[in-house]
Amino acid sequence: MSAMSRKPLFLLLPGLIFILAGFAIPSGIMLFAPPGVSTGGIFARLGEMLTDPFDQAIILRTLGIGLVVMAICLVLGFPIAYLLARSTSRYAGVWLALAIFPLLLSNVVRTFGWIVILGSKGALGQLIVFLGFTDEAPQLLYTELAIVLGLTQLFLPLAIISCYSAVAQVDAGLDDAARGLGASKTRTLWTVVIPLSAPGIVVSATLVFAGSATAYTTPYLLGGSSNRMLSTQLFSYSAVTVDWASASATALIMTVLVFLVSGVSSLTTRRKGMVS
Amino acid sequence: MKGRPLIGTFAVLGYIIMIVPILFVVAIAFTDSQTLSFPLRGFTLRWFGEAASYTPFTSALLSSLGLAVLSTALALAIGIPVTLAIQRGKIPGKSLVEGLFLSPLVVPELVVGLALYQQVMVGLNQTALVALVIGHTVILLPYAVRVTGASLALADPFVEEAARGLGASPFKTFLTVTLPLLRPGIFSAALLSFITSFNNVPMSLLLQSRNFHTLPITMLDYIQQSYDPMIAAMSTLLLAGTVVIAIVAERTVGFAKIFGGINK
Repeated sequence: MSAMSRKPLFLLLPGLIFILAGFAIPSGIMLFAPPGVSTGGIFARLGEMLTDPFDQAIILRTLGIGLVVMAICLVLGFPIAYLLARSTSRYAGVWLALAIFPLLLSNVVRTFGWIVILGSKGALGQLIVFLGFTDEAPQLLYTELAIVLGLTQLFLPLAIISCYSAVAQVDAGLDDAARGLGASKTRTLWTVVIPLSAPGIVVSATLVFAGSATAYTTPYLLGGSSNRMLSTQLFSYSAVTVDWASASATALIMTVLVFLVSGVSSLTTRRKGMVS
Repeated sequence: MKGRPLIGTFAVLGYIIMIVPILFVVAIAFTDSQTLSFPLRGFTLRWFGEAASYTPFTSALLSSLGLAVLSTALALAIGIPVTLAIQRGKIPGKSLVEGLFLSPLVVPELVVGLALYQQVMVGLNQTALVALVIGHTVILLPYAVRVTGASLALADPFVEEAARGLGASPFKTFLTVTLPLLRPGIFSAALLSFITSFNNVPMSLLLQSRNFHTLPITMLDYIQQSYDPMIAAMSTLLLAGTVVIAIVAERTVGFAKIFGGINK
């Protein structure tokens, strides 16, 4: 080996050791062979969870909320990204910054905002009472709706950023060409812009799903004890009951869920990519 | 936006969901009431005074800042050489190596946090601080590698070869040519890493101990116990700090470039 080819290895070595010892190996051990639990024990617990109605409800809630938030983030995020990417306004930069800024702000602060709005004496409940719809503020906090709103707020900036770079890559000249050939604005959007930015839209959907299906702060603060998700279960198995087998099984389900949805998404892009 | 009522409506709704809850937090921080109740009553600054003198918050703030600085420095110290090797070296299985360093992005953080709790804190009997520095550095490494890598990929390797050809040593070439090329990338990665570590919840939640708490976890526990406007005041202070960081980012490398470039 020449000196030239040996140098990269020496640069790489500290990083490799760190990522293996601090991430890959501990995660592998935790998922498949935690201390005092056999791999068989984990899969037995996994089988129980998949058939137990209580655990099934938690898995389905996690999957369902993840998919709903993903859909809402695309429906609200793509239009923002599209308008920003195609805007000629001098304020477009300010609007883009306003969409990215929430990403820098603590999740705890952003989620707390929903408690202020949805709480029993909160702004929305009091408004509903004030307008005379009901005598008493409806239960808004500690519901699945609260979790969905909270997660949408957290992950919308991420959806906008990845849709924005996808739309920005599509030459605006193509929009003009389609319009010049007589296509309506709506038709141009559906037949030109969306198909060409599909890979970016799928990336954005995957990121939002992975984030919402594994988020902890939101279901903990807004879901209460009756709307448990896999993340809050995982925490109580590890910190409250110290049940390694259940913690590993929950972690496995969570990881598989994220990989499954990412896998399905990347398959759809590949097919779309062949068409366009 | 004209003639596009549906797109416009969705966009407005999106901005409302992102921004309005933050405005409510700021508004209720000034209320002269013991609880988070509407309509707002009076105007007071006392919640800010209480938040600033509440020791669990102040000591957690110092812990969070220290942890963020330490993990950012470590992630850059480990990540930059990796970036150099991936971008400039001839290594076998380059995309596989890059994938390994980006993989903490796809594994749920709670899973990694639990693994480190189980094996570093319980198994090896290490303190929460040791486990936290490892855990946060693991989360930050993908940013360090990807963001500095993006700026190096844009730079022409010929410039470095020219320096070598003109007789500069490899070390001198690195210091005087490669490092300046990397500077915007390093700055972006540092800012992104610092913010990510400072705001982290899942990792810090699992890797806490009686005498080491980060600010987000302390605030999370506080909210769970009582809903008073003091937490809104603390949140507003954090918001102000975050705005300052955003302005610094905008004046240096460009805000959208740093934080918008994450997924490019």
